[in-house]
Amino acid sequence: MAKETFEEALKELEEVVKQLEDQSVGLEEALKLFDRGMKLAKRCRTQLEGVERRVEQLLAEADAGEQPPTAPFAPEEG
Amino acid sequence: MTPRVWAVGELVREVNATLSGAFGEVWVQGELSGVKVAGSGHRYFQLKDADGTLSCAMWAARADRLRFKLVDGLAVLLRATLEVYAQRGSLQLIVVEVTPQGVGELQLAFEQLKAKLQAEGLFAAERKRPLPALPQRIGLVTSPSGAAVRDVLKVLSRWEHLAVLLDPVRVQGKGAEGEIARAIRYLGRSDLVDVVLVVRGGGSLEDLWAFNEEMVARAIAACPVPVISGVGHEVDFTIADFVADVRAATPTQAAEIVVQRLEAQQRRVDTADDGLRGEIGLRLERVRARLERAAAQRRTFPLRVEREGLRLKALAAHVSGRRLRQLVAGAAQRVPTAQRLRQALRALAAGRRQAFAGAFDRLKDLLHRLETPRFRRRVEIASAVAVERLQARLPRARLMLEARERTLEALSPRRVLERGYSITTREGESAPLRDAAAVAAGERLRTQLALGSVRSLALGHEGRQGSLFAESDEERPGRRDG
Repeated sequence: MAKETFEEALKELEEVVKQLEDQSVGLEEALKLFDRGMKLAKRCRTQLEGVERRVEQLLAEADAGEQPPTAPFAPEEG
Repeated sequence: MTPRVWAVGELVREVNATLSGAFGEVWVQGELSGVKVAGSGHRYFQLKDADGTLSCAMWAARADRLRFKLVDGLAVLLRATLEVYAQRGSLQLIVVEVTPQGVGELQLAFEQLKAKLQAEGLFAAERKRPLPALPQRIGLVTSPSGAAVRDVLKVLSRWEHLAVLLDPVRVQGKGAEGEIARAIRYLGRSDLVDVVLVVRGGGSLEDLWAFNEEMVARAIAACPVPVISGVGHEVDFTIADFVADVRAATPTQAAEIVVQRLEAQQRRVDTADDGLRGEIGLRLERVRARLERAAAQRRTFPLRVEREGLRLKALAAHVSGRRLRQLVAGAAQRVPTAQRLRQALRALAAGRRQAFAGAFDRLKDLLHRLETPRFRRRVEIASAVAVERLQARLPRARLMLEARERTLEALSPRRVLERGYSITTREGESAPLRDAAAVAAGERLRTQLALGSVRSLALGHEGRQGSLFAESDEERPGRRDG
């Protein structure tokens, strides 16, 4: 799953920022780091927002690997 | 009288009948010892106190209903009937009910299960799994009605990108533990959810009991995805809490842990993103500053040339008449130097312009990649200003240079000759004559005019009194054009 790569991408992103903070890095290299960082940040955001909001109730169980039947769920008020 | 002879079994039966009639059900208090579970599931043990021992038997059907475990040393109150076990002829208690003494039955069961699972290592810190980086698909095991599910969903709704799959279960009453354990097992299977929340609102120990059942504890321990428990209030600790990977104090707290994790990840991304933009922004500022410095250098270069020219002028204004020609000659020698200077400046200008254009392109490229309009605007303005200044200064520098060259030209020997002065040398020599006394009558001379030269024969000299500038050598400035 993409879940594992989120952590990796985020760690690399933070590493890139750290490298960019190093003033001895030249402009050319900085530009590359910036590019890489932006890509990583975008990937992180995509994953962070990758799930569509929904609240469902399980109606019955299904075999492993199959999606079980569900229905939208809203708790009763009170 | 003939004594009555009993058959053994008959006597035992009679004794049992008497015992039953005399004692019926008895309540006996003592301490358990030598507890054994037979293959049949029946429990056998001794009930002891300081003064005596009684053998006890408890049939499996009743013993299995006990929530706690019969263990040696446990102080108990037994409800039982007395009987003689015919096969061995020993007196024993047939136990119907066991109540622990000094401690509640549930509390005892809780402590017993806790001790057992702890001994198995189920609560060990190293068994706890970290929450996933992105707990986005939440399995929720709880009752579909009640405060807990509402509390959890309310908190979870704070994060927009999150999917909840509720497996509705009963959270109290007979069989609740089975439903809960089954739901945990089901949701935990391959790739349905990232994390399982097992929650229930507050209640009595009796109400929360399902979460103290071994079955639930084992389901949590075996769950492939991390489990967060949130049962009861802050003060309530259930076995489920001990086994869970993360124990939340309440259902709300359980949901908070999930949302806060996501929010923390969001913050990390934001912070890194800000860091990226900030750092590249600083770089752009530095590039801009470098461009300005370059522009400033271009500004000072022609000024230095101009200063040099002024210095020369000042010098020319203060030389003695006798040195005028020397100065003129010296200045003349400097003309080609100024030309080289101009060439150098042009070459420099071309080179700088190229370097500048390169840097500017780079800057534009960076700007193009930079999404923050604030940075873009700042840098664009700064670069435009730098470019404008640079371009504005190029023609000015050239003008100053040209003015300077005109000055030098004005001082050249040709111009001097044009103004009517002349240079006289001995014929065949190139050093100008400066002292009349050095010329003897009959010497052949050559006088250079603005146009052509005159050859002549010296008649003699007239001493030094007739010097052109004899009266006011120091006061009279040398003639020159501005």
